[in-house]
Amino acid sequence: MHAGRPDHRIDLDSVALAHFMPMHLLMDGEGRALSYGPTLARVLGGDAMPGARFEELFDVRAPGGAVTVGDVLARAGNRFRLVPRNRVKAGLRGLGRRLPGGRILLNLSFGIDLISAVRDLALTDADFAATDLAMELLYLAEANAAVTRELRGLNLRLEGARVAAEEEAMTDPLTGLRNRRAVDLVLERLCAARAGFGLLHLDLDYFKAVNDTLGHAAGDFVLETVGRILREQLRSEDCAARIGGDEFVVIVAGRSDPKTLQAIADRIIARISQPMPFDGQIARVSASIGIARSSDMMVPDPTQLLAIADRALYAAKHAGRGRAVLLVSRGE
Amino acid sequence: MDALLLRSLQSYVIDTFGLESWKRICNATDAKVETFEPMLRYDPGTADRIAQVAADVLGRSVDAVWEDVGTYLVTNPEREGVRRLLRFGGTCYADFLHSLEELPGRARLAMPHLDLPEVTLDETGPDRFELRCQSHLAGLQRVLVGLLTAMADDYGALCLIAPGTDARTSITVLDSRHARGRRFDLALPEG
Repeated sequence: MHAGRPDHRIDLDSVALAHFMPMHLLMDGEGRALSYGPTLARVLGGDAMPGARFEELFDVRAPGGAVTVGDVLARAGNRFRLVPRNRVKAGLRGLGRRLPGGRILLNLSFGIDLISAVRDLALTDADFAATDLAMELLYLAEANAAVTRELRGLNLRLEGARVAAEEEAMTDPLTGLRNRRAVDLVLERLCAARAGFGLLHLDLDYFKAVNDTLGHAAGDFVLETVGRILREQLRSEDCAARIGGDEFVVIVAGRSDPKTLQAIADRIIARISQPMPFDGQIARVSASIGIARSSDMMVPDPTQLLAIADRALYAAKHAGRGRAVLLVSRGE
Repeated sequence: MDALLLRSLQSYVIDTFGLESWKRICNATDAKVETFEPMLRYDPGTADRIAQVAADVLGRSVDAVWEDVGTYLVTNPEREGVRRLLRFGGTCYADFLHSLEELPGRARLAMPHLDLPEVTLDETGPDRFELRCQSHLAGLQRVLVGLLTAMADDYGALCLIAPGTDARTSITVLDSRHARGRRFDLALPEG
């Protein structure tokens, strides 16, 4: 409750002043320097001469239009922003006051340029008053950078894991082909884009017999072999998927010509029909394929296209297996 | 907190003993992962559990493993950041010790969700201190011992650091200017 009483005056010598305010500037009533705090002296370097005028030392950034320390104190109340006229890149914030007797006391601090000032001037914590939060700000800047770095690393690692998981979720583990989920997505995308493409629905013939007579390992071997054949026969923009036990779907991008699609299907059947040696025995299967074309539909629709390909497959099976049938839809 | 210790343990084992050792440790646990993320959350107690497995696999005591982790955090040239953050604590080792009480508050500024345990430091006599840090992590005291030892070297101070009971660690500074400390610039070079 005595804080405001004017009779509690204290006398500080320059050593004590420097201790409490290492960035102070004491001037006479005309704005000529009497003494500099040691840290401010480091900022100003050779400019920190006794008698130097305020306006020779500093360029006033705020308040606008102020040049002399008299202007600053008159215009800004007691708060202002300066940059030193030497090359040191350090914005300085300050407050100032005319002391009884006419002298002027300014106390300055680094604003947000603290870090670069500390770096450029090689300041140590002895250059700051113990009450100054400079250490905390430097600490926080580095802690923040470390946290951000960790978060960026975490993001990259999570993104990598997400891509791998997505890839896994779209892949049939046995054959390495795509799965049903992937087919649905690709069909949806192609139909939405009104792209022309051929849809092959493939079903193995005699697969059950292989499973029954040679065992499940042989069956798996056949499925893996079919997967390899499909990958070899297709281009990278095509999509081959295993959508059920021995059921496959092939999407041939950008091809609508019946002869081309028929040729692709025939080539696949020919390859699959070749004997597959497994564990000293021979597995023999063939394949039936139903073909549908997106160009046969006014508005391509995944479900309807799959239904057409399915009917074509049924026709191929019915016609004696080991063959491909292209079904042109009417009015669908 | 478990996450930070787990990540530290992981880095320490991989850098010191190699990736194969770390994989062996992970395989010997039920953790199902080989990478601990410092920014994620793990069940309390995970760090102590994994450290025990690490100690078994490496054929050392779990206390020794945690102390080495503490030393590693300060001395590993790749992890200069931890040492720097600690050096902001003060210009001499005693200042640094006192700053540890502020460490949880400082850490919260950068990571509000980090629950660093409270630290209290008592001066029990001239150049004698007692540090108290109560945590659910049994290994934390030993990490601190390793860290305090390494920081003493960093400041060039000669100290006797002895873990005691009840999460208390006694520190006796025998010679605060025993050797020339490592250089510390407040700001990192640009870039």
